[in-house]
Amino acid sequence: MQSNAGKLAIVGVAIAAATILFIVLSGDDSDNSSSAPVGSVERDTETGESPDRGEGIEQADEATEEASSEIPVIVVKGGQPAGGVQELSFTAGQQIAFEVDSDVAEEVHVHGYDVIAEVEPGKPAMFSFQADIEGVFEVELEGSALQIAELTVNPE
Amino acid sequence: MIAARATRAAAATCLAAAVAAALYPPPASAHALVGKQDLPIPPWLFAWGAALVLVVSFVALTLAWRRARFEDENRRPAPGWVSRPVVNRATELLAGGIGVLLLGVVVWSGLSGTEAPDRNFSLTFVFVTFWLGLVAVSVLFGDVFRAFNPWRAIARGFAGLFRLVARQDPPRPLPYPQRLGRWPAVGGLLAFLWLELIYGDSGQVTAGLTPRTLAIAVLIYTAFTFVAMALYGIDTWIERGETFSVYFGMFATMAPVEVRDGRLGVRRVLSAATRWAVLPGSAALVLVAIGGTTYDGAQEGVLGGVISGVFGRLLDAGVNPTFALRATNTVFMALTLAFVAAIFWLGVRGMRSVGGTDMSLNRLGRAFVHGFIPIALAYLVAHYFSLAVFQEQAQFTYLLTDPLGDGSNIFGIAKDPIDYGLIGANAVWYVQVAALVIGHVTALVLAHDKAIAIYDDPRIAARSQYWMLGLMVGFTSLGLFLLSQANQ
Repeated sequence: MQSNAGKLAIVGVAIAAATILFIVLSGDDSDNSSSAPVGSVERDTETGESPDRGEGIEQADEATEEASSEIPVIVVKGGQPAGGVQELSFTAGQQIAFEVDSDVAEEVHVHGYDVIAEVEPGKPAMFSFQADIEGVFEVELEGSALQIAELTVNPE
Repeated sequence: MIAARATRAAAATCLAAAVAAALYPPPASAHALVGKQDLPIPPWLFAWGAALVLVVSFVALTLAWRRARFEDENRRPAPGWVSRPVVNRATELLAGGIGVLLLGVVVWSGLSGTEAPDRNFSLTFVFVTFWLGLVAVSVLFGDVFRAFNPWRAIARGFAGLFRLVARQDPPRPLPYPQRLGRWPAVGGLLAFLWLELIYGDSGQVTAGLTPRTLAIAVLIYTAFTFVAMALYGIDTWIERGETFSVYFGMFATMAPVEVRDGRLGVRRVLSAATRWAVLPGSAALVLVAIGGTTYDGAQEGVLGGVISGVFGRLLDAGVNPTFALRATNTVFMALTLAFVAAIFWLGVRGMRSVGGTDMSLNRLGRAFVHGFIPIALAYLVAHYFSLAVFQEQAQFTYLLTDPLGDGSNIFGIAKDPIDYGLIGANAVWYVQVAALVIGHVTALVLAHDKAIAIYDDPRIAARSQYWMLGLMVGFTSLGLFLLSQANQ
């Protein structure tokens, strides 16, 4: 039906189109992501009680533009994360920093990064480490095997 | 939307955990096997992948060839000096021995090793090295599992021993019911997927699949396999009923290498797939393979909110949490499988409506279902590639040297933890999208080739392929969509 040259031309055009599209689309994204706020805690407002902490989080949200001076706090009450599993989001290369405040003594384990810290009532666990692995990770209370937060590290 | 879903998920999780805490002492070490999960592919990559699928499909339509190319396998036996060192009595015994040894290590580590899933040899070996690794090996090198199959090796050993002691052949096996075809393997695949994805789901209310339970499951399957082999004959059961042989064998049909009559040979790549689906149950096997991965992807993303919503409601109704979780997941897995099967059969029905063949719906489906093996493979790569890269590091370091997780160091190799930085998110995304697009192209090629072989009229063949094209675009887009919604 078509000559071999014709077929080759079609394949060539298709490859060129795919390549151009790839460059255009991937270029778009890097602009978007660099302007996106980073290091923010997406907190659920409906069930997010514990008013004292809630305000702190709001501030953290607003303060994200000036490179998080307020670090996110995960509150554990009676062995449960207040307001459900918290979402922490960072960009690769950043410093990951958050705090776990618990009313029970526990061990907090950040999977993947394998960072472990002890927490006790009145003695919050402070986390600070380089975001050098991209992906989605569980933050867990080791003793009760309960997930308290989901740490997301997006590529730059 | 996301916030609302997160709310429901969070509420359900809290509630579940509270109830669970009241009812059960929580397991001491319910680690998930995976320390890291993939990020969803970004919207631009999703858009590009989808566009590429359309471009590729359009190009495939215009380039359509007129003579079937994959029906003829064009087999060439390898010369003796190549074949003999690979396929001989000694390598057969060695491979069988390794298979039996590994089966033994799985059971031993499962029964007497640590209950921490990520520190025990058995779970990573069965679900990653064996289940995923052998798919990759089969696609590249053919039906390698046949040589390593521990059940086949043991059964053949017994048959040989019987001949030696009783000085007569073992009793003739029963005739295998032809209508059963590959259905026993489909049942086995469903059971395996259920064990992995539903029983093994270590949520807040269940410890998931412990190494001990896995070892017991392996022993039950082993006993079942020996009974079936004794009834129907070793080779018949390997070909039709033994789940892993049939499953890996399905992917092995894509390979350009095979062993036939004790001799190594090469064949046209993909050509064996065109003849694979002749037995009843073959279509179901491919569809369950696709559906299982679809469910696993969906439950972590798209369906996650709905599942935890239903689960929460069952908890409110006072249902036992473990039962509620498993029942909910089972129902959604069944729905996912039904959805995948429905799309497929809808497409086949459409293809039949263009006429040109007097095949029944069932036969027409079976004639084209091999085209979906590459899609099943693409789904596996897209979903499990990064898991395999990370877990295999554990497999060949600390899980190998310390299979029981008791601190031993049998081989004296360093017990490094997994390097999760080995591949970044971008690399994972590109592999995922590439797998889906390549799977799509391969599927189109196989379907088009089959259409030429089946239909006398090339115009009807072309028209039938609009339906197949629609199906494949559908499955590939679904795969992309699942990736874009992963772990959110």
